[in-house]
Amino acid sequence: MEAISGSLALIGYGLAAIGPGIGIGIIAGNAVQAMARQPEAAGMVRTTMFLGIAFTEALALIGFVLFFLT
Amino acid sequence: MEQLILASEECDLVENSVCAPADVAELFEFRTPIFEILGFPITRTVSVIFLVAVVVVGLLFFGLRKKAVQPGKFQTAMEGLIGFIRDEVAVGIIGPDGIRYFPYLLSLFLFILVANAFEVMPFINFPTTSRMAIPLFLALLTYVIFIAAGLKRQGFRYIGDILWPPGVPVALKPLVGIIEFFSIFFVRPFSLAVRLFANLVAGHVMLSILLVTGLVSFLTIGEIGLIKSAFGIAWWLLGLAIYMFEVIVILLQAYIFTLLSAVYIETSLHPQH
Repeated sequence: MEAISGSLALIGYGLAAIGPGIGIGIIAGNAVQAMARQPEAAGMVRTTMFLGIAFTEALALIGFVLFFLT
Repeated sequence: MEQLILASEECDLVENSVCAPADVAELFEFRTPIFEILGFPITRTVSVIFLVAVVVVGLLFFGLRKKAVQPGKFQTAMEGLIGFIRDEVAVGIIGPDGIRYFPYLLSLFLFILVANAFEVMPFINFPTTSRMAIPLFLALLTYVIFIAAGLKRQGFRYIGDILWPPGVPVALKPLVGIIEFFSIFFVRPFSLAVRLFANLVAGHVMLSILLVTGLVSFLTIGEIGLIKSAFGIAWWLLGLAIYMFEVIVILLQAYIFTLLSAVYIETSLHPQH
């Protein structure tokens, strides 16, 4: 069997990006729903959405750094 | 610009399908100094940082110099930007006492915005925030400020307050303490810095590789043949689409960095009861 070549860390980063990808999708989808139901609260919802995205994204960022470290 | 020339000389589209440097670090590290001041070598990175500072000061100076009752276009834009940071971020997130942190948040926002904007600026094409030193320094500044704000407002009770939010059962205290300690004192500054850094690195790599590939395949149309050259032009068009996307990323990252700094300061000033 031919040996697999390339960086294993790349696969690790790909795996690390799955969870945050799903999470950000859920956050953004629910934020759009909230804005559609209550347009007057859109400003507050948008701020909270960005915060949620930022915190969720941290997991993918850790994967990104591990990709550089290895 | 010298990168473009360098890349197009190394690039061999006869064998490869895109122009990528052998090592991606070549796109970010400029070791040869451009000139020297008092014995200190000034590289391209450092000169771009100084340019960013000059541009930020110039924007503020020329935007707010006249204080006209009927403001011109430029003054209106600057006032809108500053008013947005003051009302939505400083006062909106932190509360009425957030006006004390408004100068810091505004300079943070403008510096990151201009430094990021140099990514898509023709002839400069280099975001200084894609070198880890800059975002890390800015994140550590926020780190020091939010811890100092908490200590000043609440004394040493602050440390206990953030480690154990009120209402935590006694049995869970060790576990919650460890998680909160790690999340506040390590993950917060780290993720703040890496988020900015990672977005700009990814953008700079994508833009350089795609646009240079398109340019080189257009220039060497005789050597590589018409079909491969057409693929190169397709890469170039994709690069232009990503260029527009990067303009959004630039604004969003500057906003998110400022917003999160404000949120961290807010959690230090007003603990949950």
